Amino acid sequence: MSALVLAVPAKGRLQENAERFFARAGLDLVKPRGTRDYRGAVARLDGVEVAFLSASEIAQQLAVGGVHFGITGEDLVREMIPAVDAKVALIEALGFGHANVVVAVPEAWIDVRTMADLDDVATSFRARHDRRLRVATKYINLTRSFFAGHGIADYRIVESAGATEGAPAAGTAELIVDITSSGATLAANGLKIVDDGMILRSQANLVASRLAPWGREALATAAVILDRIEAQARARRYKEVRTRFGGCNDTLLGVAKTQFGVVTPFGGPTSSGMLTLHCPPDAVHRLALFLREHGADSVIVADIEYVFTRDNPLFARLDAAVRPKN
Amino acid sequence: MTIDPDLYSQADLLVGAFERAGYIRVSPAMLQPAEPFLDLAGEDMRRHMYVLSDSAGNELCLRPDLTIPVARDHLASAASGAARPARFCYLGAVFRDHGSGAGSGEFLQAGIESFGRTDTAAADAEALSLGLEATAHYGVNDPEILTGDVSLFSALIAALELAPAWKRRLAKDFNRKVTLAEDLERLALAGANGRSEHRGVLAALADANPKAAHALVTDLLSIAGISAVGGRTIGEIADRFVEQAELGVSSALPGEMRKVIERFLGIAGTPDDAAAALRALAEDAGLSLDPALDLFESRTGFLAASGVDVARIRFETGFGRGVDYYTGFVFELHDRAGRAEGQLVAGGRYDALLSRLGSPRPVPAVGLAVWIERLAALTDAGLP
Repeated sequence: MSALVLAVPAKGRLQENAERFFARAGLDLVKPRGTRDYRGAVARLDGVEVAFLSASEIAQQLAVGGVHFGITGEDLVREMIPAVDAKVALIEALGFGHANVVVAVPEAWIDVRTMADLDDVATSFRARHDRRLRVATKYINLTRSFFAGHGIADYRIVESAGATEGAPAAGTAELIVDITSSGATLAANGLKIVDDGMILRSQANLVASRLAPWGREALATAAVILDRIEAQARARRYKEVRTRFGGCNDTLLGVAKTQFGVVTPFGGPTSSGMLTLHCPPDAVHRLALFLREHGADSVIVADIEYVFTRDNPLFARLDAAVRPKN
Repeated sequence: MTIDPDLYSQADLLVGAFERAGYIRVSPAMLQPAEPFLDLAGEDMRRHMYVLSDSAGNELCLRPDLTIPVARDHLASAASGAARPARFCYLGAVFRDHGSGAGSGEFLQAGIESFGRTDTAAADAEALSLGLEATAHYGVNDPEILTGDVSLFSALIAALELAPAWKRRLAKDFNRKVTLAEDLERLALAGANGRSEHRGVLAALADANPKAAHALVTDLLSIAGISAVGGRTIGEIADRFVEQAELGVSSALPGEMRKVIERFLGIAGTPDDAAAALRALAEDAGLSLDPALDLFESRTGFLAASGVDVARIRFETGFGRGVDYYTGFVFELHDRAGRAEGQLVAGGRYDALLSRLGSPRPVPAVGLAVWIERLAALTDAGLP
């Protein structure tokens, strides 16, 4: 039996992105029994079982401790898991699967710009039509707490399984709460986002279940996985800049750190003046100019594959979340 | 969960007393359509409800209270056609989800519902005195009596010269104290809506006469090819747009009006003291609150006549029960020593309830519910 279960989306862009994310970290997800199989493994890493599930099943399994790690959207985690912080920990936002959960009303509602307007419309709608304003959504809990936060009481939720943006035109609801990435689908359906109607900026996250059986073996495997992920994530945040020149000193390094955000993985220059810097990609050229102005003849910039460091903030986050309190 | 037979039989005696007072005992179905509860109590109620669906996809629930089931059964019966008052009492389980780990979601409730009585003050007083009988039945002879009257706040809002949007808002937020305080804060600030997009149109409309402004906005929407969208009509959108325009010019609440509302909400004490303070407020502010105040004083009279020591009653103008179907008198009975979690008995008037449930004519309604486990726990504690 495998010690650690990792749940990954079973289809679509989320699956492709998740597999690419793990592959970048040197963790190739494989399906030894064929592509139709819903169980897999990680190549060259024992003790991991990969479960291919739907994004919402992943959220459910995380909530009950059925899997240790899962890749799923923050929107689903916050919607589907009551008392979310007691059950899961968001370890890392992954930079894909972006979707905003928003409140959208018909464009024709020229009198509605803000949630305060919506509140007033809800109340007068009820007085005028003798029923409550209907909100079509699959995000029942997110909607309820967001509306409560804005003091809106006169509304009803109509649960929507799909094509939520069509509900106002179809006459099954007056407004919607839904995810949008570009807003194009909303506009095509004659809907606009309420100015302060952003409920959640969501993206795919690596999520840990606090209720999963975190034995010593599972934690050790998790440490390996998170070490690779962190090493890769850190590598992507920097370019490696190498140079060698006599005029290099601590003062100059201090300036480079504050101006360009560089870090020095091996400390200051060696006795021969060799210097290795890690620099954010968008500051690389300015740094190269700066170094040459101060005497460097050549500056070499290269991509980094991994940066392994002694500390690992991802594992620290996991450890804090699952360590038994006593 | 099985209900403790002793718990049940003691509550049964209480409901027997309700029956002797002229209330007919009824037992509505446990499984109810979810819609009426969500419609009347609001979406916030959903998280406290056990909602399930049948094979046809209809949303059902385990009844979270008995008022709505009793009212629905009454409306469905032939008797509801007659204008005669109907009185019901009940004893049974209600189901409320208070979050995982909060213990069983099943509670025993007894209660009464009185439909159709037009002698409002007397019917209100009867509900409170039956509530006091209920606590006395469990040996709690001197509960803390908290009362309020939603209709007084409604009367105040109606009498104030406020923009309709603000009246709607204040009336809605009466049950949400944090928001109400925020509302008053906002009212004091001028047009802090931050709307920029239509400012030019809004400013132009503000000076036009309302009828012409309304016609202009309606035309503009029609030219844009927009008909009814999302259940609101063009006229409705135009109305509110013009209202916003007018509000934009003078949306700040005059300081003295805010003072009146705050002074009103600060009034509390015995019913007699509160009535005197309210009359003084009405006179100082030049407002007519007479019908609501007359009813209030008449109710106090009926309570005194039925043997309630009215000096023991605490009245607060700001006291509401958090559910917006109450329209008048509201009350809660609490253990003075604070040994019970929440109220022992709660009730009030909900004159709009039966209409909202589909009654073709308005039916005045008042009732109460008794939290049996909470009262029994006090008796078990060997007190008072």
